[in-house]
Amino acid sequence: MNCPIGSEEQLELLHVYCAGERNTPETASLARHLEVCAACRELVAGQQAVWSVLDEWKPPEASADFDRRLFARIEQEVSLWNRLLAPFRPLWVRLTIPVAAAATVAIMVGLIVDHRPAQPPLGPVELAQPEQIEHALDDMQMLHDFNTATRADAANTKM
Amino acid sequence: MLPQPARPERVKADMGGLAAALDYDAQLMVRVKEGDGASFAVLLEKHRSPVIHFLYRMVQNQAVAEELAQEVFLRVYRSRGTYEPTAKFTTWLFRIATHLALNSLRDGRNERLQDSLDGDSGEPVARQLSDKQPSAETAMVNEVKVEEIRQAVAALPEKQRAAVLMHKYQEMEYSQIAKILNCSESAVKSLLFRAYETLRARLAHMA
Repeated sequence: MNCPIGSEEQLELLHVYCAGERNTPETASLARHLEVCAACRELVAGQQAVWSVLDEWKPPEASADFDRRLFARIEQEVSLWNRLLAPFRPLWVRLTIPVAAAATVAIMVGLIVDHRPAQPPLGPVELAQPEQIEHALDDMQMLHDFNTATRADAANTKM
Repeated sequence: MLPQPARPERVKADMGGLAAALDYDAQLMVRVKEGDGASFAVLLEKHRSPVIHFLYRMVQNQAVAEELAQEVFLRVYRSRGTYEPTAKFTTWLFRIATHLALNSLRDGRNERLQDSLDGDSGEPVARQLSDKQPSAETAMVNEVKVEEIRQAVAALPEKQRAAVLMHKYQEMEYSQIAKILNCSESAVKSLLFRAYETLRARLAHMA
């Protein structure tokens, strides 16, 4: 491989190698190069030394009440928004919302009921109306009268 | 629903599967968008320290770093409604953090707060050492050492500093750093190359 010194393109590979990665073909190739290149060995050693020095810089831990303060700020912000928006919600809006919600629920219930599968139709039921009964009785009476008259005519004829 | 601090057990359980998902954080953020406050608490638990540490190393003042970190998470929470998981969550998070840190450094807020919060900002350097209970002499040596590192990092130009901190301490890839700093990958390589050269020159005697 080409000597990576001065090549920003090879820098990533050098950093990967310094970070301890030795198992890729690229780092293996770099390792072979390091065996024959003193300048690169020096550079890698210098880089690793800088990193180990940087490792000694430990930042302090976060304050114990960091989360509490953050959640308090969030809560404050949420309630602030609610307070800011409150004057812009007139009474009729505040009343309208629950009424609209109730109406929506009622409409939804209505739609659900309306969309229930239709009950299978019952067999045809014929209900006799009073007029029909009257007509039937009249017809029967008329037939009876007709039969009586027919019989009487037949008897007269035989005689 | 307001976010509530997640219980550590719950966080640990959730964190167990983090490796499995490519960007579980983005999924959590989508849940926050849907009104799940507990997911915000999980995100906070996971990213609180990395964000504060990054900001601390950027502005080198604990009080300012925490104030900026509060602002970072507040902005994340405020933006939940418009959040779209188009990039890694940490890219978005550190973009906010970097933006705030650079602004803070540029408007000199750091110096002003440094004066007012001097007692807080000048936390004993010994607290920042890796050794738990060093002897007085070791502590003094380390104090000098850490002070040199702080000065060497502080002397870097802002973008180089941000690039080094994200590369060294957050172990971010070049492509992610490029997205955060809104520049090309080759520009990031150049930033890191120059920054590490400078640090090597300044800190070589300490190795």
